[in-house]
Amino acid sequence: MARREFIAGRNFSGRSQALIAQAKRFGPQTYFIGPYAEAALSGLSSMVADEIELYRAKGNAVPRPSFGQITVDPHRKPQSLSGGEQVMLALHCFSVSAYTALAIDTALEQLDTRNRREAFGYLDEGAFDVALTDNRTRPTQWNHLELTTTDLRYACDWDQLGAAIVPNRAPLITIRQLSFSYQPGRDIFRDAQATLEPGRAHRLTGPNGAGKTTLLKILVGALVPRTARILLDDVAYQPWRSGNVALALATQNPDQQWCGATLREDMARRRAALAGRGIQKSLADQRIAKLASTLGVSSVDQHLYELPLAARKRISWLWPFAGAHPWIMLDEPTIGQDDETCAALAHALALFCEAGYGVMFVTHDDGFAAAVPHCVLHVENMQIS
Amino acid sequence: MTPNGALVFAAIIILATMVSRVSGLLLLAVLSVLFVVIEVGRHATTVLRRALALTIPLALFMIAVWVGVVGRAPEDIAADQPGSRLSALAYVAIVCARLFLIVAITQAGALRFSALTPLQFVKTLRMPLTFKRLAVLTLSLIETLHQAIDRAHTALIASGVITRRLSVRNLLHGWVLVQTVWLTAITSVTGRMRDKWPIENTLNLLDPLLTEQKAPRFDARDKTWIALGAVAATVIVWADVHGAP
Repeated sequence: MARREFIAGRNFSGRSQALIAQAKRFGPQTYFIGPYAEAALSGLSSMVADEIELYRAKGNAVPRPSFGQITVDPHRKPQSLSGGEQVMLALHCFSVSAYTALAIDTALEQLDTRNRREAFGYLDEGAFDVALTDNRTRPTQWNHLELTTTDLRYACDWDQLGAAIVPNRAPLITIRQLSFSYQPGRDIFRDAQATLEPGRAHRLTGPNGAGKTTLLKILVGALVPRTARILLDDVAYQPWRSGNVALALATQNPDQQWCGATLREDMARRRAALAGRGIQKSLADQRIAKLASTLGVSSVDQHLYELPLAARKRISWLWPFAGAHPWIMLDEPTIGQDDETCAALAHALALFCEAGYGVMFVTHDDGFAAAVPHCVLHVENMQIS
Repeated sequence: MTPNGALVFAAIIILATMVSRVSGLLLLAVLSVLFVVIEVGRHATTVLRRALALTIPLALFMIAVWVGVVGRAPEDIAADQPGSRLSALAYVAIVCARLFLIVAITQAGALRFSALTPLQFVKTLRMPLTFKRLAVLTLSLIETLHQAIDRAHTALIASGVITRRLSVRNLLHGWVLVQTVWLTAITSVTGRMRDKWPIENTLNLLDPLLTEQKAPRFDARDKTWIALGAVAATVIVWADVHGAP
């Protein structure tokens, strides 16, 4: 019978190291899927078709069923897929490869409900050795390794965070006639519309690859829609032309949002970019240092890339929490975060709503979403409903 | 035509372009146009567009420097001659024509095999395994940089450091984009090398992949183009030795 090892523990308990150690015990034929693209994909392929071809077994195929149908265009760049699509691709690559064991570090948290069920069904078949860390489930009938210690260097002070919230008044966001496509003829949005109310949290739901992150990127001006009429309190807003003045985004992969190597540098650049908009006080060095401390980073001179991933993810919330913009947008904020952090984050988001902010978050974590009073915006079939 | 034939032909044209003067460039231009029209067909306009997109900025910059500021060609300076703006313009024209031809033939070679994925293309090349590995890693690095540019661009636009449109802000903060791109690229590469590659021995997958099929030999079409390229190159070298313009 194949081994199925589940490694449980809080943040900074050494789960990832334990997972890698287990992967090494499985032997050299172990396939690894980490939480972000760099650790999920080979990095050697320029197209989805090449990624599959690279891993496809050459003459020594392991007898096991193939996982999932790859529905994305085989000529797409693997790095351009959504997080969930990348994980599904990685699982498919493993299933056609000669690898005999699989190690997964919280990557399944990016999957929507249907894909997640399919992935766990595949792992439960018992056709190969598997080691897993995951914050949203504790699979029964697996061997459990419980890690009880935790590194207190990154401990958060959630009470202080609540006290540091500066009241704000978010504008009403009205989205009309939104059409967008990455490639001609393959619309992500077609004439979509939505209304985002201030003082409330909005959860974006939808299948992997539906366009949730794309919507956030459009709203911060990083992508240009084919057509769109966006209003902030009845005033026309085109962030792709005039710049982003209302929405603070924390990206799914925290390493995709840094503007500098240290927190001090990152914040100084953001502060300079918003000079003249009367928010210098909320971004003052002393306040940022205090906020960073509440989020578990004791020094603003800390090199961001040297922090553990879970700590980088937490500190990526600093920018939205700093209060520079009245709308807070979090893309999959709970990936890699333990229950305690998720509960504290949910509480913090509720406090931000009470303080007048608008909140928008993307998550497949129903447990976390249930802890935040919110309304749902469902993205599917090119519409937001 | 095979990828090997296209590669050899492109190499001959590129080398000949680098040693050509005006008459040689005209000859190579005729040969390149024939190649593009016959082998690339409906994608010919794409080749032209991309070559122009790369050449025009260089041409404008060189005209400003050599014709506008310096006012004479480098040969004039080397020979301590007074020179003229006309000779500087001729110099710029030759350099830009060379770049245009090199970009065009490279693009034509790539578009001729656009149905192949990059890995399939490398697999069909007749070259030592080490070079094939290097080719895959080079493509991987290019892709990583491309992705890093996209990520850094998004991060800096979202934070308001730069804008999507041309702006003074972009001029002032363009260096931040460059720094962020490098930070992102280094993080991506180290991320792969820290966990994924050592656990999987991912790089070991390349050897069986790149050697699983025998690379095809030159076909008749390859030989025709290579012969035409070789004749053109010989004529150019001969003309150069005999002092053609």
